[in-house]
Amino acid sequence: METHEPISRDEASAALALTEHSRARVAWAGYPAWYWLLSGAGLGAVAYLIMSPGNWDLLGAAAVAVLLIGVTRAASRARGICEGHFRSAMTLREKLLLSGPAALVMVAGAFASKFAGWVPAVAATAVFALYAGTGLAMGARADRR
Amino acid sequence: MSTPADTERAAAAPDGFDELIHAPVRLRLCAALDHAREIEFGTMMTMLDISKSALSKHLSALTEAGYVTQRRAVRDSRQRVWLRLTDTGRAAYRGHVAALHRIVGSSQD
Repeated sequence: METHEPISRDEASAALALTEHSRARVAWAGYPAWYWLLSGAGLGAVAYLIMSPGNWDLLGAAAVAVLLIGVTRAASRARGICEGHFRSAMTLREKLLLSGPAALVMVAGAFASKFAGWVPAVAATAVFALYAGTGLAMGARADRR
Repeated sequence: MSTPADTERAAAAPDGFDELIHAPVRLRLCAALDHAREIEFGTMMTMLDISKSALSKHLSALTEAGYVTQRRAVRDSRQRVWLRLTDTGRAAYRGHVAALHRIVGSSQD
């Protein structure tokens, strides 16, 4: 059987860096701007519906969630990368960076909305800005690499 | 005539190091496919920053080894080719990455 030449630690490190570069590109590059804007708006709408008093909040949130799935599928086709339903190229740290702040705002907003009526609108706007802003910034960074 | 399985056996060493995958373009190609279900040919060209013919050449080698499959699909009257890592290819790629980690790790001792 053919044997391979041993490679140095530096060569192996460089090869691993290439794989990490590819992973980051799959995770973030090529997303159309509308994907981040629509996703952020959808999450903001979900936050608003959940925090606002009413009988249609869960139904409305479910409808937005279905729309978000459609947006995600359309974005996958547009960028030419299908990650699958259960697979993601993002690391846990990147997922937390993208969704963590928006999730914190939702939780804090849900608590604060019991005391002030303006909280849902402000929280929804913050969720949109945090999610869309992070996505656009990380996508632009990956596209430049 | 060699079969894809024969090619795979010739490429992969017992420690998982795979000569076929280790070439920089093929390594990046497999790394990208390992993190996705499918990637479109044109997107892969952009991602790797190589020509159509160069990508086709690398894909031929990986396809022949049974590491990658290609699926043709028509959308908006335009034919697109989607690339996917096979189970064999995924195992070979992950074995290769594990071998690289071992090299980096063992050199640190």
